[in-house]
Amino acid sequence: MSPELVRLILDATLETLTMVLVAASVGIGAGLPLGVFLATSRRGELFAAPTLNAVLGFVVNVTRSTPFIILVVAIVPLTRLIAGTSIGTRAAVVPLTIAAAPFIARIVEAAIREVDQGLVEAARAMGATPFQIVRKVLVPEALPGIVLGLTLAVVSLLGFSAMVGAVGGGGLGDLGIRYGYQRFMPEVMALVVAVLVVLVQAAQTLGDRLARRVNKRLRNA
Amino acid sequence: MTTLVFEGFYEPFSASAEPIDRTDALPVQDVDVPAVRLHEVGKTWRARPGQPSFSALTDVDLEVRKGSIVGVIGPSGAGKSTLVRLVNGLEKATSGRIELFGEDVTELSETGWRDVRRRIGMIFQHFNLLSSRTVFDNVALPLEIAGVDRAAIRSRVEGLLELVGLSDKAERYPAELSGGQKQRVGIARALSTEPAILLCDEATSALDPETTRSILALLKRINRELGVTILVITHEIPVIKDLCDEVAVIENGRIVESGSVFDVFTAPKHPTTARFVEDVTSVDIPSYVRDRVTAEAGPESSLLLRIRFVGEHATSPVVSRLTTTLGADVNIVAGKIEAIADRPFGTLLVAVPGSPPTGDAAIAALLTLGFRFEILGYVPAERIETECKPFGFPLVPENVHVA
Ligand SMILES: Nc1ncnc2c1ncn2[C@@H]1O[C@H](COP(=O)(O)OP(=O)(O)OP(=O)(O)O)[C@@H](O)[C@H]1O
Ligand SMILES: [Mg+2]
Repeated sequence: MSPELVRLILDATLETLTMVLVAASVGIGAGLPLGVFLATSRRGELFAAPTLNAVLGFVVNVTRSTPFIILVVAIVPLTRLIAGTSIGTRAAVVPLTIAAAPFIARIVEAAIREVDQGLVEAARAMGATPFQIVRKVLVPEALPGIVLGLTLAVVSLLGFSAMVGAVGGGGLGDLGIRYGYQRFMPEVMALVVAVLVVLVQAAQTLGDRLARRVNKRLRNA
Repeated sequence: MTTLVFEGFYEPFSASAEPIDRTDALPVQDVDVPAVRLHEVGKTWRARPGQPSFSALTDVDLEVRKGSIVGVIGPSGAGKSTLVRLVNGLEKATSGRIELFGEDVTELSETGWRDVRRRIGMIFQHFNLLSSRTVFDNVALPLEIAGVDRAAIRSRVEGLLELVGLSDKAERYPAELSGGQKQRVGIARALSTEPAILLCDEATSALDPETTRSILALLKRINRELGVTILVITHEIPVIKDLCDEVAVIENGRIVESGSVFDVFTAPKHPTTARFVEDVTSVDIPSYVRDRVTAEAGPESSLLLRIRFVGEHATSPVVSRLTTTLGADVNIVAGKIEAIADRPFGTLLVAVPGSPPTGDAAIAALLTLGFRFEILGYVPAERIETECKPFGFPLVPENVHVA
């Protein structure tokens, strides 16, 4: 393996990690509150706002049902506005984040809806405000589910980040397409896949461990 | 909007802990004012698509005296949970008036209710402990919510864990506890803000009889030692019998009978009450006698009577008095004596042989003596007068061991 190739792979891996981590962080920042809101704003719930809930739910669904590759192209003007360019790693972060946030929101929503309503009832009976209920009951109790869901999101983002390579986004996917496909270097393609496998494995293992650590529901956990 | 805080019903049990700031407290109320008073309260669930509106509670009147333990019992779906949830505002009444320590809380806003709820503890059938928090942190939760500082939380929680006997489990998670231990955590948590009222919704329904007894004993102690007024919701009659001073029987959203536990148990008026009370007080006719009971007296039959012993009568030697009065033997068929609200209440099934003349005399004697009784029918004599054999170890020297 030539030193240049190693260099190329390393750079691409770093780009991929940057894209995924930035997109995941911003996605969590937006998706967590959005998910909490979606889980608590139907009729009769803590922050009851059925109309806003329906509107946001619709927006989330639209984003989630748009194929990622179309999303990337469709939001180019927005990407340019935010990243200053529509090509490269910086630009790729924008569609990745926009795809990640609703996904994470739904994950958080599902995890929170799993929390026993009896706990909300108990907190209300203690005189907790809706915000206290979210902060002290819903999020901590949903945490194992949220962590597992976020792991899933990160793994999906690794896949998506390879896809943005196809539109000049940089990273491992970009490398794989340019060298492996366009220049007929199947060994590069294989290496790219190998690195992605390692990354996915690492993310999943880390996520599983963390989820088990925060899950106090089982004996001997 | 006025803030409402009930004051001074018991001293903080953990003297080292700083009392919660209650500078906004209203003056202490008149001593005779009930802790909880529901006046003609109704709750109707609004109609929803495909479902008509439904009255869960109708014209409910209920008073819970300060420092007492009141139980509400009723069959499933009677409206018990709805009723108890009105008391801490988790549900809103659709008619009537609710007062806590003389304060009308019927129209209280959600913010107003939040302050009130910090003075009312609640425990639940399924405990509702946070799985993500340790025992200590679960008990600390209401204090965190009330904004009590760390140091005060520590000493108060430690005191409470000691009270419920779980000091050694402070750092455990709920998943590592038994049901009874979980409910003790629930009780400690409910008491952490030093509530004047404790609401229990089926607090022992998920526990076995032994654990139930220990939880009931703890609740009783909390009531006696801390003066906490307790409102208990249950469908289990033993809970009422062992814990409560007063009872209300609810059915189809209406209170059909209420009064002191002893009175209601010993003289139930409503059929539903009678059915509940039966579980505790009834003495069934043994199967070997039941098959032979007839409505008409035969030539050699015995009169079968169920006699109730209430209060001071329970300890009086009823059988011997009957025997002497009648000058005839009385056979005991079955019987038991229960402690109801710490007073004896007995039931005895007896067969008076030689009826009808002796039977009529027995009835007359019971009337004179002032016992309550029922005539169950007649049994052919030989079914009762089974040969009497001693049962057990004969007390002969080889069976007696001296240590
Ligand atoms: N949110 C609700 N909407 C509509 N109807 C309700 C609602 N909550 C309770 N009900 C109805 O009100 C009635 C009383 O319910 P409640 O939970 O108070 O009964 P309960 O006496 O506590 O029963 P159980 O012993 O089974 O707990 C039931 O018929 C129930 O179906
Ligand atoms: Mg109930």
